Amino acid sequence: MSETVLSVDELSAGYDQADVVRRLDLRVDVGEVVALFGPNGAGKTTTLRAISGIVKPSHGTIRYLGKDLSRLSPTVRARAGIAHVPEGRGIFFGLTVAEHMRLGYRGETVDPEQAYSYFPALAPLRDRRAGFLSGGEQQMLAVARNLVRRPRLLLLDELSLGLAPVLVEQLLPVVRQYALDNGCGVLLVEQHVQLAIEVADRCYVLSHGDVVLHETSERLRSDPDILVASYLGQRRRSGEEAAL
Amino acid sequence: MVLSPIVAFALIGLGSGGLIAGIGLGVVLSYRGGGVINLSAGVLAMLSGFCYWALDTGYFGITFPTGWAITLTIVFALVVGVVFEFGVVRPLRGQPPLAKLTATLGFFVSAQAAVVLGFGEEARPQPPILPSGIVSILGYTVPVSSFWIAGIVLAVTLLFVGAFRWSRFGLGTRAAAENEAYATLYGLSPNGLSLANTLLMSLAMGLVGLLGASIAEVDSSTLPLMIVPALAAATFGSLNSFTVTYIAGMLIGMAESVLIFFSSQSWFPTNGIGNPLPGVQELMIFVVLVVAMFFRAGKIPGRGDIVERRLPPAPRPRAPLKAAMKWVPLCAFLMWALPFGFREGLITSLIAAVSLLSLVVITGFVGQLSIVQLALAGVAGFTVSHFFINFGIGFPWAAIIGVLLATVVGLISGFPALRVRGVSLVVLTLAAAVAIENFGFTNSTWGASVTGSLVPAPSLFGFNFGPNASFHGIDGAEPSPLFGWFCLVVLTVIALWVCNLRRSRLGQEMLAVRANERAAAASGVNVRNVKLIGFAIAAAIAGVSGVLLAYSYGSITADSYDTLVAISLIAFIYICGITTVPGAIQGGLIYTGGLLAYAILDWFGLQGNWLNLLVGFLVIASLVLRPEGGATYLFYRSKRPASEVTS
Repeated sequence: MSETVLSVDELSAGYDQADVVRRLDLRVDVGEVVALFGPNGAGKTTTLRAISGIVKPSHGTIRYLGKDLSRLSPTVRARAGIAHVPEGRGIFFGLTVAEHMRLGYRGETVDPEQAYSYFPALAPLRDRRAGFLSGGEQQMLAVARNLVRRPRLLLLDELSLGLAPVLVEQLLPVVRQYALDNGCGVLLVEQHVQLAIEVADRCYVLSHGDVVLHETSERLRSDPDILVASYLGQRRRSGEEAAL
Repeated sequence: MVLSPIVAFALIGLGSGGLIAGIGLGVVLSYRGGGVINLSAGVLAMLSGFCYWALDTGYFGITFPTGWAITLTIVFALVVGVVFEFGVVRPLRGQPPLAKLTATLGFFVSAQAAVVLGFGEEARPQPPILPSGIVSILGYTVPVSSFWIAGIVLAVTLLFVGAFRWSRFGLGTRAAAENEAYATLYGLSPNGLSLANTLLMSLAMGLVGLLGASIAEVDSSTLPLMIVPALAAATFGSLNSFTVTYIAGMLIGMAESVLIFFSSQSWFPTNGIGNPLPGVQELMIFVVLVVAMFFRAGKIPGRGDIVERRLPPAPRPRAPLKAAMKWVPLCAFLMWALPFGFREGLITSLIAAVSLLSLVVITGFVGQLSIVQLALAGVAGFTVSHFFINFGIGFPWAAIIGVLLATVVGLISGFPALRVRGVSLVVLTLAAAVAIENFGFTNSTWGASVTGSLVPAPSLFGFNFGPNASFHGIDGAEPSPLFGWFCLVVLTVIALWVCNLRRSRLGQEMLAVRANERAAAASGVNVRNVKLIGFAIAAAIAGVSGVLLAYSYGSITADSYDTLVAISLIAFIYICGITTVPGAIQGGLIYTGGLLAYAILDWFGLQGNWLNLLVGFLVIASLVLRPEGGATYLFYRSKRPASEVTS
């Protein structure tokens, strides 16, 4: 039995008293990459935000390395080793690549060379402002900057947004390797299901804020129909698709 | 050599340029650190100036040696910084920029009232801390302190530039300014960064206050109003660049000084009685600011706060006629029955309510926060006065012409608003107000002399209904209730009309423009016309209040329409409700010199400044707790169940 990095029990969270996520359970173990799938509005991003603390849950508990996070601010959670790459990449357009590496809280030291070793393409761009990087370079910066923080839990929200799939194919294996080497748990939200199940160990499919499918990637790779069914609603009757 | 005096005067201007640049740095720091347009940067400097003066001269009974006085002043500046952070910046985190700016106005009003209460209005000569020697340059004497100030502020500028470029604190601040939520994900603490920035700003302002002593006396308005040129300098720096702000501030100070030299020349325009035209410097700053706005304001970086809120809702008036029929007779009766002091307070309240209605239209409905309204009132007031003095024209023609002129000036002041929005507009209208006051009102040709400009009592067909009319109140004293009733009628008509405006198609269009200009334009609203009409209406209402104020005083000076008064008006309307007519009326009642203020003076012996001291706190409290304003809350909340029954 491997150690659990993150366990979410009966989580409900949302915006302005309207819950988007309802009674959600999920778990991420050490060194494991877990993918979160689901159609638009399923609550994937909200789940990540609740874990990193940007959204306050209305119900349920989130445990990180066995500790209850509910009373901790996003800042404290980040310092405890939770890294969240949000939609929109979470980098600062006004800061250069090198400045991103110097950014941090007091007492934190990161090794820029480590970051450039993950993505050598970033090295020649050190003195360029993040706003002037291409989308793929920005995403590399976001991932690299969060990996050099040596997180125990990495939350990745739609790395593929606005990127060519070929770039995502470069990003995900780096994350996979980091998780294996450092025992970091990774929870990633992805629209490119095929790319994600290549690297993920397990997958959850969310629909309307609830888990409708929880399966190993291995199983999904061998039987893609399960996934399709979960997206379209499990009680799919034969012939309905033809009618549409 | 023609150039040598210009060079010499430019060098003398290094001193005031340094102060302008210093306050400009504070503005930039506040904006980068907390997204606050800090109109009270100059006030913070003034507080430290007074603190140093009090410690050094033994005002509180203990005289400290200079070194100790400086140290304690710096400690004081830090304490003020903490108060500013937890009283102004922190409570308004995540509020829209306009609310933050209004909160700094509230702090402005409170701090100024505190200083006036503690030290009085007169200027305090301060023992200078900088070397007081002079050097001779090109045959002119230039004080050494000018170079010191320029040099010290330059050092501070370079320090800030370095800190923001290289230090972890600077990087964190830049990151948090761009996106606070993302910054927390990196383990940065936006609260900690904000506190650090405010303390740094407060320290810098403390330094400016200490330095200011060496070239000017300490008083309650010089340093606070230096915020206007400082804002111009900071706008050139797009509220972002310390270096550009420093350079612009120095240049403005030097240009002001050179203008002083020009005004001593024979070719300089005079005001008709041989004195050089006043207010040219303020006019120059206004022009500089317009230029800065035009070229640089677009580059002011927006702020990625976690939450973003807008102006409070503007509810539809319910049964305004019924309310009027209840309150107007009561007010009319009180006007006759109250003793003279209360009657005067009531009249002041009614007039203040009219000018607050002008703010309700332009800010509450159209969404443009404008500080220039009271200056427009002044335009109308001085027109009434001068039409009588110069042409012998009295009521009603002078009043009508005055209101029309105010409308025209207001319309002109509205044109920049077609391009300039939100916070930038506030800054621009502040500069316009200061320029109109100094260039227009202190100019004895079309403004007032020191002794005041005479305003005749209003009369129609020989029937006098001014404050000095022969019909007196129940206590047999002036001001005459006739004038009070006149004001009451005017206020009632305008208030009902504003209620109607809110319900009309034009009012709906104004609210559409307020909510979202692009969306309004997309749904067929002519944004340009709606804005201009809004400015014209607001200016006309402001003009009416200016005329009433002039009649009420009988003699007006530039102080009657002071920019600082304009700022406190905005604070009052924000407390009571900037979006509704009841807000304006309640604001008038609690306004300085109004009914409540007189009652407090009469019953408890407390001067109006005590009320002002409270105003700052009330502004911040209401922005946080009841952004719609006290009166709006009371008036519209309690009746909600009834409306649900009827609908």
